[in-house]
Amino acid sequence: MNFFLQIIVSGLTLGAMYSLSAVGLSLVWGSFNMLNMAHGAIMTLGAYFVIIWFDSMGMTLWLAAPFALICAAIAGVILYFISAHWMLTKRAFDTNIMIATIGISIALQTGLLKAFGGEPYAQPLSLRSYSFMVNDVPVSYQRLVIWATALILMVGVGIFLSRTNFGRAVRATAQNRDAAQLMGVRVRRVYVAVLALASVLAAVSGIMLSSMKELMPLMGGEPLLKAFIVIILAGLGNVTGALYAAILVGLLEAAVQVLVGAQYGFPAILIFVILVLIWKPAGLFGRRTVARQ
Amino acid sequence: MSRRDLIILVVLIAFAIAFPYMGVPRYLLTSALVMFCFATVVTQWNLVFGVAGIFSLGQLAIFAIGAYTTAVMGRYLDMNVWYTFPIAGLAGVGLSLLVGLATLRMKGVYVALLTIAIAQMMFVLIQTDTACSELNRIINPQTCISFTGGSQGLGDFGSFGWREVLGGRDAVRGDYYTMLGLLVVGVLVSFFIINSRIGLGFKALRDNPELAASRGISQFKYQLIVFGVSAFLTAVAGSFYAAKFKAVGPGILGFDLLLLLIAMLVVGGLGRAWGPLLGALVITIFREGVDNIMTEGLQWRDVIFGGIVAAVMIFMPEGLTGTLDRLWNYILIKLGFAKARSSTVTAVAQDKKAND
Repeated sequence: MNFFLQIIVSGLTLGAMYSLSAVGLSLVWGSFNMLNMAHGAIMTLGAYFVIIWFDSMGMTLWLAAPFALICAAIAGVILYFISAHWMLTKRAFDTNIMIATIGISIALQTGLLKAFGGEPYAQPLSLRSYSFMVNDVPVSYQRLVIWATALILMVGVGIFLSRTNFGRAVRATAQNRDAAQLMGVRVRRVYVAVLALASVLAAVSGIMLSSMKELMPLMGGEPLLKAFIVIILAGLGNVTGALYAAILVGLLEAAVQVLVGAQYGFPAILIFVILVLIWKPAGLFGRRTVARQ
Repeated sequence: MSRRDLIILVVLIAFAIAFPYMGVPRYLLTSALVMFCFATVVTQWNLVFGVAGIFSLGQLAIFAIGAYTTAVMGRYLDMNVWYTFPIAGLAGVGLSLLVGLATLRMKGVYVALLTIAIAQMMFVLIQTDTACSELNRIINPQTCISFTGGSQGLGDFGSFGWREVLGGRDAVRGDYYTMLGLLVVGVLVSFFIINSRIGLGFKALRDNPELAASRGISQFKYQLIVFGVSAFLTAVAGSFYAAKFKAVGPGILGFDLLLLLIAMLVVGGLGRAWGPLLGALVITIFREGVDNIMTEGLQWRDVIFGGIVAAVMIFMPEGLTGTLDRLWNYILIKLGFAKARSSTVTAVAQDKKAND
């Protein structure tokens, strides 16, 4: 029974963290077919911004965290204007922007490595050392924080997308760019906003991730890859599907890690995803039409 | 292969053969032969990515399979590395066909994500492989080395053996010509495929998939052929790489090598026969330059490369060869040597029109 509880606890934590980054990625892809390989670097950047504002600028944590998120949003806007803005109308946008963002991502990560050095930092924004017991399974308060943050943000994004005018504009653009444009939606403004929002989500997920482990310049790579696996599993561009898929992948990974061995978690989910894709090439919740040209 | 291409190729090969006798320092020969190795990989990757239009990022996984096959066979079976090359090639073909089958029904970025994930999975599996292997106990009972060597990698599996044949001073020339031979084969294969029925078939499949399919062009067949052929040489390049450096580690699956190869590919120009070669040459020269100018340039190098890749994709997605091609045709037309009929320029223009 303890096994089971342990799988649920760590699986839900993983799922919550994956969902934060996967939903952002999925939103960006859904809006304008941009597969943002720099998402992981922005995660890392967001986590480092907390350090910058807290350690170097001497802010309190309650001030440093919102400032870090604002900086991440600005990073997203900058990312739009240095890459996607120029490429939107050119051919092969989806592959070209993917390669371009790989370049940007590696440049950003090595820049961070140069600026902060390779040694890990401890994330100041963490409650990892405090925990309580459920049936002899320790649950740290940090996990509660992660679950709560993920839940609040997911509900927030959901409300934003379904209830606000701007959210409707985002969904309209995702469904049909030309029609949205004809209805007076300023699609480029939507793209910028979506990328900024996704970057904020990425930064939150980076902060959460570094609060469970430690802060390193190259820490964004692995969670990015998992977020990608989550969104392919869900079907690219399907935001709600990404949420379910994130929890599914988190639980599966935790189960394999607990029952088989820690290093088999990633290969196991990868093989699972490949099998699913052979069965349903457009993903679990995907429609065939998602891959637009 | 047009006459222009043939002449350029012969001149290049002649230059490359003469290069070691031009009194260049030895470290330049080493950089040149590393460039040949990567250029081979990039020419083959170009067949999959540029010509067939399959956005696969798994080329390094095939490269690594080749390198590790040579290392494992040389180390545990005590095979001469020369005999391991065909086996490494076949191992690469096997992996590539599996990947090809798994990704056959997918499109564009799905393939990219899945192939990058497969490469990453190999990296993680090798990196976390720490169980002491009995095979290594036989070789040296004192040590605990895992089957793949884990994060430290494997060594002690032999080399090309030029040191014994040519002597220590000239061994690097042996390595140089070996790599050059591989590259020449790679370039010839690449030219052959691009100009053969297969290349034309992919062109047809890209321009009008329905018509091409109704004329009996099977994407399934052609895709598997390209995956197989390109994987063989890529894996052999991997095992040559292992044999040259006498060691192999999981680092060859890392992001910096991926970035380097992508930079060669896109700077040269995707889908063009000369693209990978030009890209490999330019990037290598650039890399040497950066390393010489900045003594602590190693880390800034990736920042610069990342920036270059992004800038090329954003402002010059056809790469250097595409731009040069355009310039060449423009000059020809201006001088009155040719009418505005050149295949690439008009094809690209039409493509653009169709997409806008």
